[in-house]
Amino acid sequence: MSLPDEPERRGFSRRAFIKGASVAAVTSAGVAAANLAQAPQEPKSFAIGEHEVELKINGQQRKLKVETRTTLLDALRDRLDLTGAKKICDRGACGGCTVHVDGHAVNSCMMLAIDAIGSEVTTIESLTQGEQVHPLVQNFATCDAMQCGFCTPGMVMSSLACLQRRGKPTREQVQHDLSGNICRCGTYGRIFEAVERTAEGATK
Amino acid sequence: MKPFTYILPRSLPEAATAAARKGAQLKAAGIDLIDRMKERIETPSEVVNLLSLKGELSYIKSERDSGLRIGALTTLNDLELDAALGAAQFGALREAAGRTATPLVRNRATIVGNLLQVTRCWYLRSAAFGCLHGKKGPACLAMTGENRYHSVMGYFDCVRVHPSNLAPALLALDAEFTSQLGDRQSRRKLSELFPKEARAMLAEHTLLPGEIVTAIHVPAQPANARSAYRESREKLSFDWATTACAARIVVEGGKIRTATLVLGAVAPVPMPMPEAAKLLIGEAPSDELFQKVANAAYQSAVPLSQNVYKVQVGKAVVRETLHAITR
Ligand SMILES: Cc1cc2nc3c(=O)[nH]c(=O)nc-3n(C[C@H](O)[C@H](O)[C@H](O)COP(=O)(O)OP(=O)(O)OC[C@H]3O[C@@H](n4cnc5c(N)ncnc54)[C@H](O)[C@@H]3O)c2cc1C
Ligand code: FES
Ligand code: FES
Repeated sequence: MSLPDEPERRGFSRRAFIKGASVAAVTSAGVAAANLAQAPQEPKSFAIGEHEVELKINGQQRKLKVETRTTLLDALRDRLDLTGAKKICDRGACGGCTVHVDGHAVNSCMMLAIDAIGSEVTTIESLTQGEQVHPLVQNFATCDAMQCGFCTPGMVMSSLACLQRRGKPTREQVQHDLSGNICRCGTYGRIFEAVERTAEGATK
Repeated sequence: MKPFTYILPRSLPEAATAAARKGAQLKAAGIDLIDRMKERIETPSEVVNLLSLKGELSYIKSERDSGLRIGALTTLNDLELDAALGAAQFGALREAAGRTATPLVRNRATIVGNLLQVTRCWYLRSAAFGCLHGKKGPACLAMTGENRYHSVMGYFDCVRVHPSNLAPALLALDAEFTSQLGDRQSRRKLSELFPKEARAMLAEHTLLPGEIVTAIHVPAQPANARSAYRESREKLSFDWATTACAARIVVEGGKIRTATLVLGAVAPVPMPMPEAAKLLIGEAPSDELFQKVANAAYQSAVPLSQNVYKVQVGKAVVRETLHAITR
């Protein structure tokens, strides 16, 4: 896991300890050596407050400021202006905030942003490059697989995970893999069709 | 969430030391803990992130005697998909993991986090109420209040329900756990993770402050054992169980030789039912027999004002579990 070089440390830091130890070494080398051997190392930590961290998002290293309590969803939406992932329940109970972390679809509202350090985060924004859209996104449009569209980014990311894992999923497998995403408008049937069309190679 | 200091231990002893400090809370994936912190029913000053030890604590290993050793940070998704759990003897664990929550949750939720998640009682989970179990009120509010998802047995002064899918499954498989407290390791039966008498003022598990569960052990199962997990719930996905049952059975020469039976979601702790399981021994599998066992399993039930249905539904789930194994 790659961590920022010198996060704020709580209480007595390693640097302060080493300084102290070298002072001791001047007075009594023997005692200092014993101290070094027994001294418990302070674990790495992030203090209360903001920290600059680097996250790998859609293939790019992005620098941003987060608090320890900032969720990955809030970091994406409020700090990086990646507002595709939606905050609906904020409790892991709807799937609106679905992103991929190291290839797995997860609820970004229930994950701390700091826990994403060292991971690959992929969001819905990665599926559109200028005029170019991913076939899955195109098929959502072709199948008219949405009404209000609020669940759609999450649905697409879970669908993508399903296709990446299974290639040509059966209807049951699509239903299983999308069972963490709720659509209030009830567009499930068309969503399943969009996934199946994509699996069959349809791009229009 | 209230602000907190976030600690990333580099080793187990470091995590154990940090977790023993006052105001510190251990976190695995955090799906349960962060939920409680967002509700402000939990406001730790320090959170110790066990995920920093993922390299060390996430694995499923087959032991030489064909038992399993499962790292504390193994995800439910890994449990559902790992080939080592493919055998019929481990069916209960595979099924319990695969039915939990949603695929999105299972991709992160850990086995031990699932076992140690706090009850879903809506009074306890809301900062707007103060109840005895939360140590913020004089009585269990569900006892006389809204209690359709609460206990029907095994309760004293608090009718909360133990919500874990994996607990009954692992208990039916005689699982054990290893924990680390300071520099001391110990291995105990999984049943000892839960209090014997689930009183309101007791924690929902028996771990000491700073004690870290490092592994779950599923011992070698009896020859020809098969196991299954079934549950009832209101929705096909997302939902916690309203009743659950896990069982492990050995059938030889048409007769049941050994059996374990554990109920979930009906009491403040997962409920092993050895007396009901005994009725199976020496008998040939039949629906009549399974009905008798289901009745025995729920014999001690004293449902609350709104959850009488759990007794009827729970019995059906026991029958379904036993049929699933012996089919
Ligand atoms: C929408 C939804 C539906 C759900 N449905 C179900 C369901 O049907 N059935 C079910 O069983 N669960 C269900 N869950 C709960 C989910 O399974 C748990 O929240 C999850 O398993 C917790 O795991 P975690 O790793 O996130 O634990 P965390 O939240 O990190 O930890 C939970 C608790 O365990 C402690 N802890 C964790 N690991 C250790 C360790 N190694 N040693 C000591 N203490 C530890 C923590 O201190 C914390 O108090 C659902 C959750 C959601 C959001
Ligand atoms: S907003 Fe994350 S699951 Fe609903
Ligand atoms: S399209 Fe409206 S919630 Fe799904």
